[in-house]
Amino acid sequence: MKLDGHISQRFNQDLEDIRTQLLEMGGLVSSQITQAMEALETGDSALGESVEALDKEVNRLEVETDDLCTKILVKRQPAASDLRMVLAVSRIVRDLERMGDEATKIAQMGIRLAEEGASPIGYAECRSIAAGVQAMIANALDGFARYDSNVARDTIEMDQKVDEDYASALRSLMTYMMEDPRSIKRVMNIMWTLRSLERIGDHTTNICEQVIYLVDGVDERHSFS
Amino acid sequence: MTNEYTTVGRPSSINPKITADSVSVYYGDKQAIQDVSLDIGANEVIAFIGPSGCGKSTFLRTINRMNDTIDICSVKGKMSLDGVNIYDPNVDPVELRARVGMVFQKPNPFPKSIYDNVAYGARIHGLADNRIELDEMVEKSLRSAGLWEEVKDRLHSPGIGLSGGQQQRLCIARTIAVNPEVILMDEPCSALDPIATAKIEELIAELSSNYTIVVVTHSMQQAARISNRTAYFHLGKLIEVDDTNTVFTSPGHKLTEDYITGRFG
Repeated sequence: MKLDGHISQRFNQDLEDIRTQLLEMGGLVSSQITQAMEALETGDSALGESVEALDKEVNRLEVETDDLCTKILVKRQPAASDLRMVLAVSRIVRDLERMGDEATKIAQMGIRLAEEGASPIGYAECRSIAAGVQAMIANALDGFARYDSNVARDTIEMDQKVDEDYASALRSLMTYMMEDPRSIKRVMNIMWTLRSLERIGDHTTNICEQVIYLVDGVDERHSFS
Repeated sequence: MTNEYTTVGRPSSINPKITADSVSVYYGDKQAIQDVSLDIGANEVIAFIGPSGCGKSTFLRTINRMNDTIDICSVKGKMSLDGVNIYDPNVDPVELRARVGMVFQKPNPFPKSIYDNVAYGARIHGLADNRIELDEMVEKSLRSAGLWEEVKDRLHSPGIGLSGGQQQRLCIARTIAVNPEVILMDEPCSALDPIATAKIEELIAELSSNYTIVVVTHSMQQAARISNRTAYFHLGKLIEVDDTNTVFTSPGHKLTEDYITGRFG
């Protein structure tokens, strides 16, 4: 896999541009999640606003990158690995954008929880799952940057642990709500947060499937369970 | 060029119309085609792509022995049509070329009327017994070539008075008129504008239900649009042949990848 070497230097540059923008977007989404988790734990509303500001940037990058992909399709009619690069980038930026939306939801939830007063219920579970998905994101972006489909496959396996942790956290929170019905509203917010983190893991799995498509030329969507 | 190689992909066909078995072509001492083995299936559209001088046209011309007209050209290996080696001394090349028709890069109608262009082959091969049969055959061929509606009122005007795209379809009608089984096309659209090209491509799709079609093209998009399989030639070797979709999304050979992605000069 390589992007350069085209007779057309501008084609090399076009492909390099979408690749760089995707990695930039991935970095932004990752900081969104870090900041959102911090906002959740500290109740810092300024951090929450920062996550929303980053989301605007992520949205802008999604549109811009997708537009570049469209232009490459129109101008170059790419084939083989070039075609797979353009398709994969166009699909991955959509997942990254949705991950950004989930991070924003977490930040908003953090502010709401802070307004309702401090209580550490469920935070440990959120922290642990967040660490899991952050590691997945770092790996997925690394797999993309280095065209390494093995890293992508390993990362998809990591999602199982996230899903298990999510299911286990839900069970313990359910027990908590049954024992103390007054906590339902608050625990529900924690559950939405966990749900967002779990969704981020799913989107990261989608990204890894696109890395596999990009590198190996095989479509393995829906083949992992 | 003595190094051995293996063609990547799927060179065989379950229902072959044409089978090339270790075909090599020489122009004097120079080897232009090296050990090409390939099946072309009945009613298949197969596209040959590759850089200039890679041998795709030379290989195409071995399928109806057009290379016979070049004195220094010699062919080794076996090229079979329906299991019969077409280079067997008993095979009459004129009859062979009636079964394996050819359309060239530049439209080359005879300096005759539209009608006579189409009727010519049928006349020399004695395919029509009388004028009525000949009229029917001319109309049927022009209809198959998608040209009838445009020329039915001027069948006796000269063929060279038509537009380039119409001339090329006239040449296709002329080829179809002798009831071939295989149609070879050597860059049939390279002298045509996009609209005329689209009409020829549409025609290829329609004709493929009745004929086996082999197209040499410099346009990779054209190969992707019209063919079932695509074959990539490089320096006289058949590097890769596979389903067109596979070749253009995940080719198996680096040379194919480099060529179709524009990395090869």
